[in-house]
Amino acid sequence: MANLRKTHPLLKIANDALVDLPTPSNISLWWNFGSLLGLCLISQIVTGLFLAMHYTSDIATAFSSVTHICRDVNYGWLIRNMHANGASFFFICIYLHIARGLYYGSYLYKETWNIGVMLLVLVMATAFVGYVLPWGQMSFWGATVITNLLSAVPYVGTDLVQWIWGGFSVDNATLNRFFTFHFLLPFMVLAATLVHLLFLHETGSNNPAGLNSDVDKISFHPYFSFKDLLGFAALMLSLVALALFLPYLLGDPDNFTPANPLDTPTHIKPEWYFLFAYAILRSIPNKLGGVLALLSAILVLARVPFLHTSKHRGLTFRPLTQALFWLLVADVMILTWIGGMPAEPPYIIVGQLASIAYFSIFLVLMPSAGYIENSMLEWECKG
Amino acid sequence: MLTTIQPPFIYLLQYTFIKSIFENKYIVISGLVVSHKAPRASSHPNMASRAPVASGRLLSGLRKWYYNLAGFNKLGLMRDDTRYEDADVKEALRRLPEEEYNDRIFRIKRALDLSMKQQILPKDQWTQYEQDRHYLTPYLDEVIRERKEKEEWMKK
Repeated sequence: MANLRKTHPLLKIANDALVDLPTPSNISLWWNFGSLLGLCLISQIVTGLFLAMHYTSDIATAFSSVTHICRDVNYGWLIRNMHANGASFFFICIYLHIARGLYYGSYLYKETWNIGVMLLVLVMATAFVGYVLPWGQMSFWGATVITNLLSAVPYVGTDLVQWIWGGFSVDNATLNRFFTFHFLLPFMVLAATLVHLLFLHETGSNNPAGLNSDVDKISFHPYFSFKDLLGFAALMLSLVALALFLPYLLGDPDNFTPANPLDTPTHIKPEWYFLFAYAILRSIPNKLGGVLALLSAILVLARVPFLHTSKHRGLTFRPLTQALFWLLVADVMILTWIGGMPAEPPYIIVGQLASIAYFSIFLVLMPSAGYIENSMLEWECKG
Repeated sequence: MLTTIQPPFIYLLQYTFIKSIFENKYIVISGLVVSHKAPRASSHPNMASRAPVASGRLLSGLRKWYYNLAGFNKLGLMRDDTRYEDADVKEALRRLPEEEYNDRIFRIKRALDLSMKQQILPKDQWTQYEQDRHYLTPYLDEVIRERKEKEEWMKK
């Protein structure tokens, strides 16, 4: 009699994804971040649901409802800390997941990659609207700065911004709808994640050598089920340690002050995971130019599959492009630093140079290095 | 032109011109196609088959340095083992003789196993630059030529 695990309509779906899935034998630590993102999503949804039971999205009570959660709700302080820091871990995992994709040429699975870019945009949108909900100073002013950028859209800009706001400034209507979006978007992320996995399982995973691994596949269970479980333990340990010992390390002190439309903070800046994009936005003195640069900084990822020039898949055997990859990592760290600094000399010119480097590496240097590496190995461009 | 003393870059141009005639599939005289060298399994070029000209030796030295820096030889792989398998490469692999294909599979499986263990081969087992064979190149060139011919035909 055939195994129920392989024949039952529901169980066989789980079996084909988590048990009998043929997996390359050599996938490394960098392949853990996919499952870790799934864990982050579940964690944020669960903690978020519990927060939503006690949060109120009216501007008169939003800030104090968060205080109420932290002080009066049983373990509310822990749920709130886990949710706030869970967002940071979500971005740590997503940036490392994308870096893995760039380094090992996983983007050549184009459908999976494109859905991944959509997921990044959805997660960023979720985090953006979510940060507004506590209704602190940085919540309000961050929302004001970023939503105002939409006014740069030609002709319809002002109307577009007021439509998003539900009024003539960030106010009660904005906070209410942002709560709705923050509740809804994670479920769209969940659906997109399933489609992301659907396409991934059409091809199977890439591997660090960039070679066709059909000759050396092993079952997902028990090797990678247990490896992922170890990853879960490491992530949860880090998240709980941060939530318990240093809960406000990554936060902004200004968000302990209730939102005041009449008092602009000296330094308005987003959370750390948006700082690199914020630096690119501010590096262009023109409003529309800055907005386009901001969008391009994320959407350049969608161009990466078309900029692949090497005959190799990943960077494992490509020392020139490896150097450029680490230059990109350093550049993003510099942009993150600059995004947190005031828009004054010498940070302005550093940010502009780093922004130029960011786009140059993606659009010019890496494709060129691919051609050079091909010719060094005597691979002519005949295809 | 080879008997007079000239600036070094002229030698490079002459070398490149002569090399291109020998390596071209079509030998062209007065604009007429004279012959077409079909790929033969026995005519595997080596990584090190270079004409002994000063600039050629420099380029060859640079290529050898890069070959070793790339590192796939430390996993016992040859250059053609590491090429990304697009549709053309898949078809070329289908045309490989069985023995070549089996050797390739062995090398790849060994490399994946080493990759899993985060190890490399002992130095005496590394693929040497001079011993690397472009076993796939003749078949791949033929596949690409056929595809382009088909695309040209479909345009009509």
